[in-house]
Amino acid sequence: MSKRKWQHPEIPAGDATTKVWRSAGELEDTPGLRQWLEREFPRAAETMIDEDDRETSRRSFMKVMGASTALAGFGLASCRRPEELIVPYVNAPEWVIPGKPLYYASSIPAAGGAVPAVVTNYQGRPTKLEPNRIHPGNDGHSAFAQASILDLYNPARSRDFLNKGQKVSRAAAEKQLAELTASGKVGFVFGEDDSATRTRLRGELAKKFSAAQFYSYEALAGAGRKASNEATFGAGAEVVADFSNAKCILSLDSDFLELDKQGPVKGYYDRRHVNGRDYSKDAIKNQKNLNRLYIAEPTYSLTGGMADHRAPVAPSQLGRFLAQLANELGVSVSIPGGKFTGKKEKWIKECAKDLAKNRGEAVVLLGSRYDKELHDLAHLVNVKLGSYGKTLNAVKTQKAGLGSAAQLVADVDAGKLDTVILLTPANPVLESEALKNALAKVKTVQLGLRLDATARAADLHVPAAHYLESWGDSFTSNGVYTIVQPMILPLYDGVSELELLLSFLDGKLHNSKVSKVSPAYTAVRKTFDSVVNPVTGAKAAEAAWMKLLREGFFAGSKYALVSVAPTPATPSLKALAEPSAKALDIVYTTDGSVFDGRYIDNAWLQEAPDPISKVCWDNAIYLSPETAKELGIYEELVELEKKGAAWWASLGFDDRDLKKSDVPEEGEGPSLFAPVAKIKVNGVELEAPVIVAFGMAANVIAISVGYGQGYDENFASEFKSGGIAYSQDSKDNVSTVGLNAGFNAYPLRGGVDYFAQGASIARVENGATYKMARTQEHHSMYGRALAREISTAEDKVYHRDYEAQIKNVQKQGMDSHAPMNMSLYKPEDRDGKPLLSDKSQQWAMSIDLNVCNGCNACLVACQAENNIPVVGKVQVAMGREMHWIRMDRYFAAPDNDQYKADADEWEKSPEMIPQPVACVQCEAAPCETVCPVNATVHTEDGLNAMAYNRCIGTRYCANNCPYKARRFNFFDYNKRNPLIHKNLYKGPLGVKQEGDSKSLQRNPNVSVRMRGVMEKCTYCVQRLQSAKIDAKKLVKKEALAASGGSTKAAITAEKLMPKTDAVRVACQDACDAGAIVFGNLLDPKSMIRRVKDENNKIINDRAYDLLNYVGTRPRTSYLARVKNPNINMPGKEYVGKATIHMH
Amino acid sequence: MANIFPRWTNLLPIKIAICLGSLAFGVVIAFSYYATPKTQRVGYMPDQPIPYDHELHVKQLGMDCRFCHSFVEESGHANIPTADRCWTCHQHVKTDSEKLVPLRRAIDETFEGYTGDPVKWVRIHKSPDYVFFDHSAHLSRGVSCVSCHGQVNEMRTVYQAKDHSMGFCLDCHRSPEKHLRPLEEVFNLDYTAKNYVETNPEFQQAVFGSDYDATASEEVVQEKVGTFLKNHWDVQPKESCATCHR
Repeated sequence: MSKRKWQHPEIPAGDATTKVWRSAGELEDTPGLRQWLEREFPRAAETMIDEDDRETSRRSFMKVMGASTALAGFGLASCRRPEELIVPYVNAPEWVIPGKPLYYASSIPAAGGAVPAVVTNYQGRPTKLEPNRIHPGNDGHSAFAQASILDLYNPARSRDFLNKGQKVSRAAAEKQLAELTASGKVGFVFGEDDSATRTRLRGELAKKFSAAQFYSYEALAGAGRKASNEATFGAGAEVVADFSNAKCILSLDSDFLELDKQGPVKGYYDRRHVNGRDYSKDAIKNQKNLNRLYIAEPTYSLTGGMADHRAPVAPSQLGRFLAQLANELGVSVSIPGGKFTGKKEKWIKECAKDLAKNRGEAVVLLGSRYDKELHDLAHLVNVKLGSYGKTLNAVKTQKAGLGSAAQLVADVDAGKLDTVILLTPANPVLESEALKNALAKVKTVQLGLRLDATARAADLHVPAAHYLESWGDSFTSNGVYTIVQPMILPLYDGVSELELLLSFLDGKLHNSKVSKVSPAYTAVRKTFDSVVNPVTGAKAAEAAWMKLLREGFFAGSKYALVSVAPTPATPSLKALAEPSAKALDIVYTTDGSVFDGRYIDNAWLQEAPDPISKVCWDNAIYLSPETAKELGIYEELVELEKKGAAWWASLGFDDRDLKKSDVPEEGEGPSLFAPVAKIKVNGVELEAPVIVAFGMAANVIAISVGYGQGYDENFASEFKSGGIAYSQDSKDNVSTVGLNAGFNAYPLRGGVDYFAQGASIARVENGATYKMARTQEHHSMYGRALAREISTAEDKVYHRDYEAQIKNVQKQGMDSHAPMNMSLYKPEDRDGKPLLSDKSQQWAMSIDLNVCNGCNACLVACQAENNIPVVGKVQVAMGREMHWIRMDRYFAAPDNDQYKADADEWEKSPEMIPQPVACVQCEAAPCETVCPVNATVHTEDGLNAMAYNRCIGTRYCANNCPYKARRFNFFDYNKRNPLIHKNLYKGPLGVKQEGDSKSLQRNPNVSVRMRGVMEKCTYCVQRLQSAKIDAKKLVKKEALAASGGSTKAAITAEKLMPKTDAVRVACQDACDAGAIVFGNLLDPKSMIRRVKDENNKIINDRAYDLLNYVGTRPRTSYLARVKNPNINMPGKEYVGKATIHMH
Repeated sequence: MANIFPRWTNLLPIKIAICLGSLAFGVVIAFSYYATPKTQRVGYMPDQPIPYDHELHVKQLGMDCRFCHSFVEESGHANIPTADRCWTCHQHVKTDSEKLVPLRRAIDETFEGYTGDPVKWVRIHKSPDYVFFDHSAHLSRGVSCVSCHGQVNEMRTVYQAKDHSMGFCLDCHRSPEKHLRPLEEVFNLDYTAKNYVETNPEFQQAVFGSDYDATASEEVVQEKVGTFLKNHWDVQPKESCATCHR
């Protein structure tokens, strides 16, 4: 019998104005992709070729089962209950209640401002970070912040003192420290974060070591921007953007929302929310408050995805762009390389007009890593726009007096230093040849968490304490004084930065094994009492300190504003040639997974797909399709992404008749293998795989830095038809997580910070291809209008204004044509009791695509909260990633025939729209009806729950899920380390990882799933349960206090309702944009009730249900994205039409 | 040709079938009796490092459950007392008792065998890792300790009194009225519904009106009281999997 296929409805005629794709293979619509789409899991267990094979398999299965059942009998004889112990504390620690978490306010020190956090702590074991919502500098969490807790438990963390890579004892190390600093010619290199205690100790160190020098260094912190700010506003000055005042924003290659923060972005999202952050505002009335974002950038960033108008501009031409814009705004500066003409000129002109119109509410932001001259010009433009004091604030940080990396090199060369003490989280030996050479000339002491290249090269490596193990203090970007509290004693006796600095002052290095109280505590307390909050009276000081510890910040503190009007001289800009196919521009981008390389050993970040390219566990060369075509790489890329059209043709199948077994054993997935190319720039070469990236400027190469820190012999097996030459010398610089991951672009970067010209690229001679794990086509959904987009500008095709477009959101795609669904499910059980019987709570969620930029923070937060395992590159390539939230990312552009004949490449830049999809908790869930063991059933409060202990792993549910939201444990990912080469396939002989330090991170309220179990999002059911129980406890207290006793007190369903919006799910908590709203539909005050009513019916016009026509009645709804284009801009008619019609 | 098989073998297949059938039946019966929590768990009474006597402390001395299991109303776990909790009394009472040596080893720094190692109690009531039982939730709704742990106040050595199988949980979740009692009486292990009703005339009036039958059995009275409280407090125990498994 042939399989019956659900015929998905066709796209309504006349509605096909947008072409949408996720990969080149999809853009070219290949049979390989169709094959991939139709499968629930790419090559899962179905390796049976035909009916015969199926029969024999069944028989062998019965044989094996019979044998194992027989064997099971032998086991019973020794079946005795193991004795288990309960070991209570000897002395009960204050506040600790076994089984209940404690929450402490702390923060993550970081360049560009500390990230305030609340740490969940189970009996002394930090397990999860949340943003500190009462902190005035709270700006949500990035994926990096969420994942940083895993670094604490990294089993490969540095635990020993090392001398040139050789282990030395603590005593010897202490002696060596004294010797190294004896001469007094010591250079201290800090990170780019700011700390009051460190500043105070810096003063004391300068007194003790008269020849001491201080520097700050991080590879990607933006030297040009810093230099310009300091030159304009004085030493230690920084410029912080205030987006709450910004109505019109132009970003010149600044990913200010994620990787290049220039100030807190909460204000940006506040103004981007169509209905206000609390969904209380009317979209039409609120339209005038919406901000508008223009961006010019060479390659897509997440900020670029949010932009209303986007111009792909090569990095060498960005100065030209800025100069032309400056001239439009009345800053006279010569335009290097001449004006942009035609539509591009109009683009810049209209953008300038809009900025000028919003004077005082406008801001121009330039990428941090551009040269100082360009930043000077950006300052002048911002002065013209009246930005300072309104959308930009120059503040005075405490970093004054810290030299740059260039000064460090100069000072070493001048012989001013004998010893350099590296306290920065950076890895200079990897990142910069100049620094590496300079450090080789002096003695180095390095403090670090990882055994990276710098740690191994150092004369003394000191194992660092993680920030969750240290006392410290830090400042947010606006200078709110914020505490760093230890959550646990150092796991591996690490030393914190302050402890190391203190040891230089008093000669004693703190040992957490000997004394539990860190001297850093005393030092921070002293800073707080003497510098930050000098009050009289010990009692007042104690109270203030306790408040600081409880709340995490010192209220009212902020950096002093620099009031001097900035007047940098008009810079003269050098003309740079436009890139061509022979001499391309190359951009060294910040990586979305490993940042500057420091997170290479963080498995959560490595496995989180890159937000733009969806590459996991690797980096790659990005090329625009046009450039790739010109270079003759595109055809091959598409071929490879198709898995070889010729190969398919040779089978003689029509694309619809392919059998599952025809999918090749390896090379699953249309985009598995990428061609390897060789880049050459300034005489340095790098061989790396190429992938096509959409929305890139022509003739630009982009490659992210930080990858490729160590390879072993297994790296060669990642290549097909030849490989590349690589060295195994540095394999000890990374753990199993970072091993064989990606390609190192730092050597290419050489002395420049951000981009270089004159690069060339060519396919490697041996025709090698490289295996890449890309999730972009995994778990693809059929259907219509998945992600929807509208625009505030009138739609010229359908003559719909903004209001009409909002009204039309729910009718986009199929939903205008499909008849109302009749449910075959009954809402009651056999006894007539309603199935969704809970009268106190019915949960629901909404996800606002308008403010979601696709940053992965929710995905990592979910991983941390729900004990989701990492599966490794090989398994991801097979589509077996376990993330409960997947971040879909679509590119969209009008069909070619929709473009006007004169549209240029800036207008044709495709839009990018991300869409996070987790289980949507269907009220009529297709998965539930097919489970043979009732392991997935509905709860009374509307969750589609999973009883993991009941699941037998038939995977029928995943087969039947239209949203592809279910994940299956194909292996025991928690038990056996999937990151060791072929370890999963060794069965019981494989290396186990049970009980290593990573398991300390686990959430005790969530089951750790085993092999053969299906899992998925359940709206953080553990948090819901605890909220319900808390409500019961409150009611109990009330009832006991009632006069006449508890039997008099009537307890109703309303009373048992958890406090309004008190339950927050992990993804919602992490999202700084406020895109995710979660709440109780039965609570009229709850925020979700502004999107849906108590019967789960949508009431916000902009909201819609995913795959509505299937009739699943999901509890999670989406809100359409709204673009706010400038109606005078060229290409405005192509904006706001990215509604996704997948087919 | 002679018959190969004698006549009596005609019934052999039926005999074999009956034998095998009854064997299989026996195995099933035996398994469902011996291999279920009812047999495997009930009565489990391991030796504890300190032979703590609940009967003495609770029944004779009148201590409340929450004196030692102090967080049972706050947390999902009912905590076992820390050594300093025992020591608050026992640094004064029965200090020289042989039985208290493990405690003194843990906390009494003047004791010659002092090690500082905590007392290692043996766990009696254990639910599987995938069961997320919460003590506080049950106590908040009027389910007493007795319902799951039995008359602990009469146990000289604690043992498992109830089987704690999933069926046991579901029985109560399906008909909670058999166990609900006034919140004030949750920690009173000697509570009986009859006694409570008879000593609280106002409550008796509320539940029974004027037709309370003093001769009715405890079960009947409890069921009446429980049903009243269930409705009055909107007690709706959930039966969906996510209530306990997640």
